[in-house]
Amino acid sequence: MAGEQIISMKNVCKGYKMGTEKLNVLKDINFEVRKGEFTAILGPSGSGKSTLMNIIGCMDTLDSGSYDLSGIPIHDAKEKELVKIRNHKIGFIFQNYHLIPTYTVMQNIIMPLLMRGMDRKSAERECEEVMDMLGLSQRVSHKPSELSGGQRQRVAIARALCSKPSLLLADEPTGALDQSSGTEVLKLFTKLHDMGNTIVMITHDLNVAKWAERTVRIVDGEIFEEEKAV
Amino acid sequence: MRISEILNLVRLNLIQNKFKVLLTSIGIVVGAATIVCVIAIGRGGKADVAEQFRNLNAGALDISYEQAQTSSGFPFGGGSSGGSSKGGSGERPSFSGGNMPDFSQMSAMPSFSGNGSSGKDGKPSGDRSGGFSFPGFGSMFGGSSDTKNSEKITLSTEDMDDITTNVPGLSDATISYTTKQDIYGGNIEETESYTVAGTLSNYAEMSNLTMMFGDYISDSDNENKNKVCVLGYSAAKKIFGSAEDAYDSLVYIDDRPYTVGGVLAEQGTVEAGISADDAIFIPYSTGIKYLTGSDISPTITVIAEDVDNIDAVTENVKTALAVAHPEADFTISDAGSKMEAANKSNRTLTLMLTAMASIVFIIGGIGIMNVLFVSVKERTEEIGILKALGGSRRDILLEFMMEACCMSLIGGVIGVLVSIAVSPVISNFGLRLEMSASGALIALAFSLVTGTVFGFYPAWKASKLVPVEALSAE
Repeated sequence: MAGEQIISMKNVCKGYKMGTEKLNVLKDINFEVRKGEFTAILGPSGSGKSTLMNIIGCMDTLDSGSYDLSGIPIHDAKEKELVKIRNHKIGFIFQNYHLIPTYTVMQNIIMPLLMRGMDRKSAERECEEVMDMLGLSQRVSHKPSELSGGQRQRVAIARALCSKPSLLLADEPTGALDQSSGTEVLKLFTKLHDMGNTIVMITHDLNVAKWAERTVRIVDGEIFEEEKAV
Repeated sequence: MRISEILNLVRLNLIQNKFKVLLTSIGIVVGAATIVCVIAIGRGGKADVAEQFRNLNAGALDISYEQAQTSSGFPFGGGSSGGSSKGGSGERPSFSGGNMPDFSQMSAMPSFSGNGSSGKDGKPSGDRSGGFSFPGFGSMFGGSSDTKNSEKITLSTEDMDDITTNVPGLSDATISYTTKQDIYGGNIEETESYTVAGTLSNYAEMSNLTMMFGDYISDSDNENKNKVCVLGYSAAKKIFGSAEDAYDSLVYIDDRPYTVGGVLAEQGTVEAGISADDAIFIPYSTGIKYLTGSDISPTITVIAEDVDNIDAVTENVKTALAVAHPEADFTISDAGSKMEAANKSNRTLTLMLTAMASIVFIIGGIGIMNVLFVSVKERTEEIGILKALGGSRRDILLEFMMEACCMSLIGGVIGVLVSIAVSPVISNFGLRLEMSASGALIALAFSLVTGTVFGFYPAWKASKLVPVEALSAE
């Protein structure tokens, strides 16, 4: 199943200044993800997993080391290129869904395609299949506030999938959901993985991480490969 | 992102926050309404000035003479003009008339006059310019020491001819005077006092007077001293009931019948010159023969061919008149300057009101800026989401800028509508408003500029937000 490298991180360091001291959050990270992998990054709070996710998602810069995403050297990329990479290569799924409350389900889902310069009609056509697959076709004109947590996360997944990204990047995707909705979302992730999507999921929950085919642990800014979950 | 899609997002956001948009744009509403009204008032003022001065030509110069009056002191010190009214000098007897002067009115004492005796009906019949005075006495006993304008001078057609002959660059010249006369005829039962103007045939054209019925006074009327008259519109209505009835009727001026040869169209109120609507116009020489004698203070009006040449013409007129009247200082008023002064005061008023409107706009703009800052703060997460999904700085900047512009434009449109609604109310306060499409467009442009200027900074701040920080904002 494993193919070309999607993520290739070498000796990545990241720190933040806290007053006069520098706090090293990521220490010499070496991490790779191949096309079609479903990887979980498991770690407790404060371990640096969110910082790692932000760097993988091109929303934050690294202090040293190198990071290639689909062969593109992100460590050298300018802001304009990063914007384009975020739009074309990455599909974000956030813990708190991060849907725009004033927009309808459809408007939220097509947003990444509109950002690309696509017109609304074409964008809506492009998203029809994904919405059917996620059972959102009857909800297109609803506002996020009119949906359940599980449904909101499905909208967020649909938004991430519509742009046909190289990488689905999920940050605690079940963190705000009850167990049944969480399971539903994780089943969906498995389905998406089976369809060939590359998924990186950040979680602190071992039970959630078990759904991934590969788990890496992050502890105090250092990354450790775990044996494949059985 | 396509501009049309950004506009669609703006539309969605504005619809979601209708009430906030309305409250935010109140400053712009007031500013736009003020701008429209200010422009309307400015145009109204300009139209008012144009109307009030329509009987004046911009190149016209009025030349008149005012005899100096001794301000105090001995009554023999200089003397005063006899006045042009019928009763004027007749009621104030000259020394040669044999009556005692009224010492309680020292400042208006008559001069010694060689021909100052009262003529028929007590009217002065002599030429006062032939009289003499004692200017030295005036200064000795506390009167004016200035020898200028101490003698009585009556401008005449000869003076007018001197001017037209010696002053280059004139297109026309005329001479006229006014006097108060008792009138009866038509529907009026008792005599009424009216302004009677003695004019030449070219007066109507030079004063932009238009006829409703008949013709204006002709050269032959003047040469033959015909007893014909032209009535102003209001005078005709008051005396005969209508302009039509007045035409070809008889009106009695100082008990002599005059045929109404024409009636003027309504001219409206005027700021300078003779108020034509209430006046009666007669031939210049007829008036001198039957009404005033030479006891008049005429005004010579000349028109400069080139308005820009007014100063030179004024100097030349003074020089031309100085030959015949070396001691006289004539009053020369330039119609263009009067119009310019009136327009200037109107412009000042407009400028002041515009400054006021600009302040309102600035306050409105600051209001918009504040609301946008709050909006950026409130929507930080939304900005973070858009950035995470691949929204560029340009997209975010444009979205917030367009929101500010739309809010301002909505305010501008409401402001224009408000100005249309309140214009009748303002008119009731006596201000003339000339509403115009250009005023509305300027107000909308001002609104748009305000939105753009004051919306830029919050929009720029929004576009500069770091996606990670924006997403984690509570």
